[in-house]
Amino acid sequence: MTAVIEFKDFSFRYQSQQEPTLHDINLTIHQGEKVLILGPSGSGKSTLGCCINGLIPFSYNGEIKGSCKVVGIETKNANIFTISQHVGTVQQDTDAQFVGLSVGEDIAFSLENNATPRDIMLEKVDAAAKTVDMSDFLMNVPFNLSGGQKQKVALGGILHDEEEILLFDEPLAALDPAMGMTAVDLIDKIHKNQNKTIIIIEHRLEDVLYRKVDRIILMNEGRIAMDTTPDELLRSNLLKESGIREPLYISALKNAGVVFGADEHLDSVDELDIEKYRPFVEKHFEKVNTNHMIEKGEELIRVKDVDFYYGSRQVLKNVSFTIHKGERISIIGKNGAGKTTIARLLCGIVRPKNGEVYIKGQNYLHLSIREIGRLIGYVMQNPNQMLVKDMIRDEIALALTLNEYDQAFIDERVELTLRMTGLYEMRNWPVSVLSYGQRKRVTIASILALQPDVIILDEPTAGQDYHHYTEIMKFIEDINKNYDVTILFITHDMHLAIEYTDRSIVFADGECIADDLVYKVLSNDDVISRANLKHTSLVHIANRLGIDPEEYIHHFIETERGVL
Amino acid sequence: MDERLFINLIPGNTFLDKLQGKTKVRIFLICIVALIATWDMRVILPFAVLSVVGLVSLKPNWKKMWGVFAFVIAMNLFNLFLLYIITPDYGLNVCGASTVLFKFTDFYVVTAETLWYFLVRFTKLMGSFIVSLTFIQCITPSEMAAGLNSIGVPYKICTIFSLAFRYIPDITKDFNNIKISMQARGMELDPKKTSLWERLKQNVIILVPLIITSFDRVGNIANAMDLRGYGKGKTRTYYSEHEETSNDKKMKYFYTFLLIVTIAVIVLRIVMPGEFEVWTPWI
Amino acid sequence: MKFNTKTIVGIAIGAALFGVLMVYGGIRVTTNTSLTSAMVVTVVVGALFGPIPAALAAGVGNCIADLIGGWGFWFDWSIGNLVLGLFVGLLPVYGAKINEGVFTVKHAVIYSVLCILGNIIGFGLVTPVLTTVFYSSELTITWIQAWSAIVSNATVLIVVGVPVLFALAKRNARGTNLTKE
Repeated sequence: MTAVIEFKDFSFRYQSQQEPTLHDINLTIHQGEKVLILGPSGSGKSTLGCCINGLIPFSYNGEIKGSCKVVGIETKNANIFTISQHVGTVQQDTDAQFVGLSVGEDIAFSLENNATPRDIMLEKVDAAAKTVDMSDFLMNVPFNLSGGQKQKVALGGILHDEEEILLFDEPLAALDPAMGMTAVDLIDKIHKNQNKTIIIIEHRLEDVLYRKVDRIILMNEGRIAMDTTPDELLRSNLLKESGIREPLYISALKNAGVVFGADEHLDSVDELDIEKYRPFVEKHFEKVNTNHMIEKGEELIRVKDVDFYYGSRQVLKNVSFTIHKGERISIIGKNGAGKTTIARLLCGIVRPKNGEVYIKGQNYLHLSIREIGRLIGYVMQNPNQMLVKDMIRDEIALALTLNEYDQAFIDERVELTLRMTGLYEMRNWPVSVLSYGQRKRVTIASILALQPDVIILDEPTAGQDYHHYTEIMKFIEDINKNYDVTILFITHDMHLAIEYTDRSIVFADGECIADDLVYKVLSNDDVISRANLKHTSLVHIANRLGIDPEEYIHHFIETERGVL
Repeated sequence: MDERLFINLIPGNTFLDKLQGKTKVRIFLICIVALIATWDMRVILPFAVLSVVGLVSLKPNWKKMWGVFAFVIAMNLFNLFLLYIITPDYGLNVCGASTVLFKFTDFYVVTAETLWYFLVRFTKLMGSFIVSLTFIQCITPSEMAAGLNSIGVPYKICTIFSLAFRYIPDITKDFNNIKISMQARGMELDPKKTSLWERLKQNVIILVPLIITSFDRVGNIANAMDLRGYGKGKTRTYYSEHEETSNDKKMKYFYTFLLIVTIAVIVLRIVMPGEFEVWTPWI
Repeated sequence: MKFNTKTIVGIAIGAALFGVLMVYGGIRVTTNTSLTSAMVVTVVVGALFGPIPAALAAGVGNCIADLIGGWGFWFDWSIGNLVLGLFVGLLPVYGAKINEGVFTVKHAVIYSVLCILGNIIGFGLVTPVLTTVFYSSELTITWIQAWSAIVSNATVLIVVGVPVLFALAKRNARGTNLTKE
């Protein structure tokens, strides 16, 4: 096998930074391999990707030591156009990389830049579109496509010919669970059929392992922490130490006291030698008392028979549900199912066409958006869309100022909020120095300043690695526990729903198709398929062992939360 | 959102729609230059009629068009009205005669020449408006980029047009999201309840996150383009620019003819400037 | 003038923002002019990429606004905006580096003077001359429009622009003295 990528004693420091981001990288990847580069945010995995596709040093200035060769070309002496003929890249941001005005045009983009004659271009675009299953969409505009479809287009755009290496930078970040499965499957097919070298950069290990990979390179703090097979990595305890989420089935088995042996295959839940673990699981598993329905506080919001239309398109159909004080609820559903509309409806930004919404027993038609805002807070997904002021305390004071409270009250409330959210020590810091997680915390604090009864959070952890995810979620959990604020998550992250909410309301095509305890919802086959979710690996284990999946998930949740 | 855009992103099915971007850009430029360059009704009227024919042939959504038409007509009439208020005998300056039809007062007279001038001016401005509207309605941003490139505009400048149209919907979405989050935090957006000063202050609040999120994209987009070889060669080809059809060939004769007429009109205006700018049939 | 891809994308995003704000975010004052914060975007393009990209973003942005608004092309105003864009985009030339957090009162004063100057040259000179040549021969009306454009543009560029520039500079400033208190 020939080596297509060779790093030798390679280090890289960005010009704007004091310390190198990559240290002493020694890595060889061979023709036809399928490799996962795994690591938490800031581990240097994306920087490593940029070294492979030539963005370093073409777009990012910095200091390179050692050598990095791609198909034998030393990248620091080469031009990005030479490298990109050999390495095709699919980036994380599906919107930003879609530069064409139609699917066909975007797939053709690299051909256009090569000044390919149009007749040849059309043939190649058709062939690529067929491979990624987008032939019927060539004339579609990007705004009507889902994240998964946009990603397929991006992949199609690099399948034209010579590129022998395909690099995927966090391909799952913007996709819901079912789309993620399709993407992993598609990558696998291309690997098998076209004999390309595949490099996937991700932190969502379990989702990537849906199809086999040959090798995993675990990055941590700018170094290669481990370069090994999936089985060996799963056996070790290195994942948790590096801030990567273990696959749920591995955690469940480890919880049951299983110690994995050296020759066991662990990278696929369906190929586990399950009988070996049966005694452990059966001993550990016990039926959890399910009649401890969560005690409900007073009723805060009641949505009754609501219909809503955008123009002539109906986006909510006869939706009803009730929310009580102190609850933790996840609102789940695929893109376009009506989740965001629900959030806007609750905030009064859009109002129901038919049906009613009651807040604390009062029909909210008489309330202005501003009045509703004091009862229901809305935290958007992207904190940069919310942050206006340059100083933390001013940001937190903004909502109070806009609501025209008097200055003494504002000062008092801001201080209280700063203390509640642990931001008091940083109150005079500029927003610009904060990390993503800290910014998120400031946006939540800026909403909390109004002391609403309910906070709606739109995808609070999107794109975050396990460490930052846990940090953000712990913070929200504390707010819920200590101040009895009702929390509503809009999400398609099933881990989030399982770990941090008690109840799930599931939407599909504008209808509310389930509203129940989270472990009941996530073990319901019909709900899973209609909402574009996927079964957790726990369900697979339970089925293989003949345990009721609902009870098994419930047991797992309670164990993880330390109840048992 | 899409309904409010006057430009289509995907080509339509009519005769004009199906022409090459190259052809459309050339016809448009010749027509608009002709309309701008002259005050001679004998030139303006045929071009104006041509653009009306073009617009009708596109079978546009008239309902959507009604608003802008009303706005542009009102605007033009208002400008004419102002002109009349200031100089009622304007026709004398530009046509060189003053045939009084009737008088409101000694100052506010109505002359045949002023009316003629107003008619010419109105036809000229409506003609340029309709020709632009026709152009927008029959071309996609990608075809526009290809067409501009074909007349010698560097392709990097053409990219600015198509790329800007690509990201307008995304930016509009951000804009709305930011407005929504500010409203939910208590910003009063109802123009009736806020003073002009308040609205300017709100502009500052909304602009900061809008600018930051919009320009945040730049790095990612540029990387995606670099990685797919943008800027590699001196020229590039266009997926959206189809091969020359027989209609394009026919239109080539047609626009060459228009071009000759336009050049002739401009040259004549320069080498043989008339004493007065506006040709009047009875003088 | 050779632009790299980042500059091209920056101009395009600037032009798109300009178009969106002009069509959806304006408060109309007279025919052809409105109180819009679109011009402030040009300033930001200037701050990040320099005066010529700023001028292009304003010129193309105005064409795009004309196109999506559907009210027809007005070359005379697009070119006026282009000239103004050149002036307000001069920030890096006199040392204001927004992306490094450098924007002082001195810069704000220079900026304001350039805004007024650019407006007077752009809309007080270039646009009226073009309008006279292209469309009409009556100067009075053009002057009314030109002056209302100068006043509204300069107002927005200074009243909205200066605070936005200070805010953006602060957002980009590196924290120097970050101690928990």
